[in-house]
Amino acid sequence: MEKKEIIVAVAGNPNVGKSTLFNVLTGKTVHVANWPGVTVELKQGVKKYRGKVIKFVDLPGAYGISASTMEELIAREFIVHGEPDVVLVLADSTAPERTLYLPIQILELTPKVVVALTKSDLTHKHGVHIYVDKLESILKVPVIPVSAIKGYGIRELLNAIIDVASGKKGRSNTLVVDYNGLEPFIKEVESYITKSKALSKYPSRWAAVRLLEGDSRLEELMEKAGEKDILDEVRKIRDSIKRSTGKDPSEIAITSRFNYVDSIVKETVVRAAGEQVSVSELLKLLGKAVVDQLERIFQHTVLGPIASLLLLFLMFLIIFTVNTGFPVNVLFDLLGFTELAEFVEAYSLAGLVELTFEIISSSISMLLEAQNVAPWIISLITDGIIAGIGAVLTFLPLIMFVSFFLAVLEDSGIAPRIAVAFNNIFVKFGLTGRAIYPYLISIGCNTPGILASRTSIEEEERMSIIGSASFVPCQARLVVILAFVTTYFKIPLYQAAAVISIYLMAFLVTLTTALFIRRVIFRKKEKPELILELPPIHKPSLKVVWWLTWSYSKHFLKKAGTIIFLVSVLTWFMINYGPTGPVDDISQSYGAIFGRLLSPFLTPFHINPETSWKVAYALINGFIAKECLVETIVLLEGGDIDVDEALLALGLTRVQTYSLLVFMTLYVPCLATLAVIYMESRSVKFTLGITVYIITVAYLISLIVYYILSLTTLYLIF
Amino acid sequence: MVLTLDKVPVGVKVKVVSVLGGYGIVNRLMQMGLTPGTIVEVVNNMGPIIVRVRGVTIALGRGMARKVIVERT
Repeated sequence: MEKKEIIVAVAGNPNVGKSTLFNVLTGKTVHVANWPGVTVELKQGVKKYRGKVIKFVDLPGAYGISASTMEELIAREFIVHGEPDVVLVLADSTAPERTLYLPIQILELTPKVVVALTKSDLTHKHGVHIYVDKLESILKVPVIPVSAIKGYGIRELLNAIIDVASGKKGRSNTLVVDYNGLEPFIKEVESYITKSKALSKYPSRWAAVRLLEGDSRLEELMEKAGEKDILDEVRKIRDSIKRSTGKDPSEIAITSRFNYVDSIVKETVVRAAGEQVSVSELLKLLGKAVVDQLERIFQHTVLGPIASLLLLFLMFLIIFTVNTGFPVNVLFDLLGFTELAEFVEAYSLAGLVELTFEIISSSISMLLEAQNVAPWIISLITDGIIAGIGAVLTFLPLIMFVSFFLAVLEDSGIAPRIAVAFNNIFVKFGLTGRAIYPYLISIGCNTPGILASRTSIEEEERMSIIGSASFVPCQARLVVILAFVTTYFKIPLYQAAAVISIYLMAFLVTLTTALFIRRVIFRKKEKPELILELPPIHKPSLKVVWWLTWSYSKHFLKKAGTIIFLVSVLTWFMINYGPTGPVDDISQSYGAIFGRLLSPFLTPFHINPETSWKVAYALINGFIAKECLVETIVLLEGGDIDVDEALLALGLTRVQTYSLLVFMTLYVPCLATLAVIYMESRSVKFTLGITVYIITVAYLISLIVYYILSLTTLYLIF
Repeated sequence: MVLTLDKVPVGVKVKVVSVLGGYGIVNRLMQMGLTPGTIVEVVNNMGPIIVRVRGVTIALGRGMARKVIVERT
């Protein structure tokens, strides 16, 4: 009987156009899910077609399936253990010489393959022609040219998927690549591993080749299954190949595969002389000139980093202004246009959302009072729940803007140029330019930022990023900083100086921590090396940008939405109830008790003992999610009060405010980030160690800042 | 003398002879198409080296480029 549901794994190189095609195939039905055999969440989407339910699972972008990076391993584990009915492999039709490698490697593992040639609308421009029929007859699986942007080839692709799933088309056996000199050794290893239980799920020829190449994952599986004796035999063979040829077997294997790719390309691909066919239209020439110029600027040793910084600075300037009015309001204020400054602030998105929620909250409260609802329920709904939802929604525009700009940088091909430009600086901190991605995303939210560390090639670099990225001030912390700074610093210039100095300090701590992890924890002296593909610079597609923006934002909303909501309700309970039941005086509540336990740590900052427990309790809530910090203080001061009034009620000095802000920015990753640090490092020791390190560093730096400001003449400025 | 990729001037096409270095790095470079025999064109040679190989542009750190042994075609 034919199955109604077809599971399709979607695999492809980075930059092959996978996310675009995935979105065209699945539309709005995308969500993340856990899959058996894979420890991470994978994006999946559903398409109903010809009475079938086709479930697409988006594998991480990978160059091969040799498990040399996390992404490659995840992709491979899913193909083997996720039991997909079809593996859809993408190859870039403008660069078949390189991108046909992955389909070849996957065909060695499973015969259930459909190959999609992406960007086929661009082949003409690049002077490439592919004889698809010929390619199909060589690979013996359907090969479909598609263009996700122009929308063609999609139906043919879906038909091919159904045909391969039902066995109507495609091949029944895996592809055999000629490994020349390795062949006798492959046979030998195959004869050993037929006894292996650990490898029973893998095709034996494939496993044999992989073992000869040195596959850490397969070796790990065999060791766990107590098959070290078989493994030792394999290792002996590997060593003897190395001795006799002077080459690593993996080098021979990869070269053989590429030789096979080359032989296919020779028969099926024609490239017009020169990389690009000359385009006669003036406009296109102009476009090419602009792209070439951009390329030259970004590749320049001095201009590259400057252009990148300017671009990023401009981006955040626009985002912050639209959202919070800052720093343009400060600028107007400074120039004497006070009214204009207030206008910018009031009509910023955050200002408008805040206003909306004040109105909603007061009208609901009036409505409930008229219905004689118990005061504590009204209080829970308005001060707890609505205030909480409001806090989440104030963030949404901020998140969406950051996501939008990141998406534009990614889809236009500018992002990898920025990475190259930053490489020279980052190398000094034991990182490659690639680390700019996770750090940039971390400015939006640390959680996806840390996930982005997976693109690192080197394990030590990956761990350095995982351990340091939480020092990057996320948007939640920006809101906390802005709230305190605008309340306590009245002179605009000082406001700007405070925010910028905190950001710079945080970035410096981030990079230094990355270097610390590399040098001290991993004791690695060599610099990491950059390898990065630079896709052509092009005009970003609005469709793709929107998809990326929405998927980043949705992730935040889901996470922040649930957490902030829960924290709001919990905080409401903690400050309205105490050991004796409901309390009128907040200082008798559970919240106050917890806060007092921690407040001794704040003694060196000489904070008023009357209010220091409030700060301490807010810090505890800030651990659950940083955006709850200000929210908690407002609730502690009665809930029905403006943010600046609530913060002023704490009675801090400016020096205390500034040093506390340094602490709040650095002190501890939020709960969700900590969970991701654990997920990605897979080490309780590393996670705990890094948490202790972060808290210690934050505490020490803020104390030092406090005493320097208090004891030196800098105090006069404040 | 052995010619390495970092010494190749801009605009020159060379042929990869071999890739030295640790297992992970060699694997990665080769999977991106820098296998022995492949023709590589150097596009930029300031900071990271930018090359065109198999129809794709790739940026390589200088230290890494030093591990790619090439010969003039």
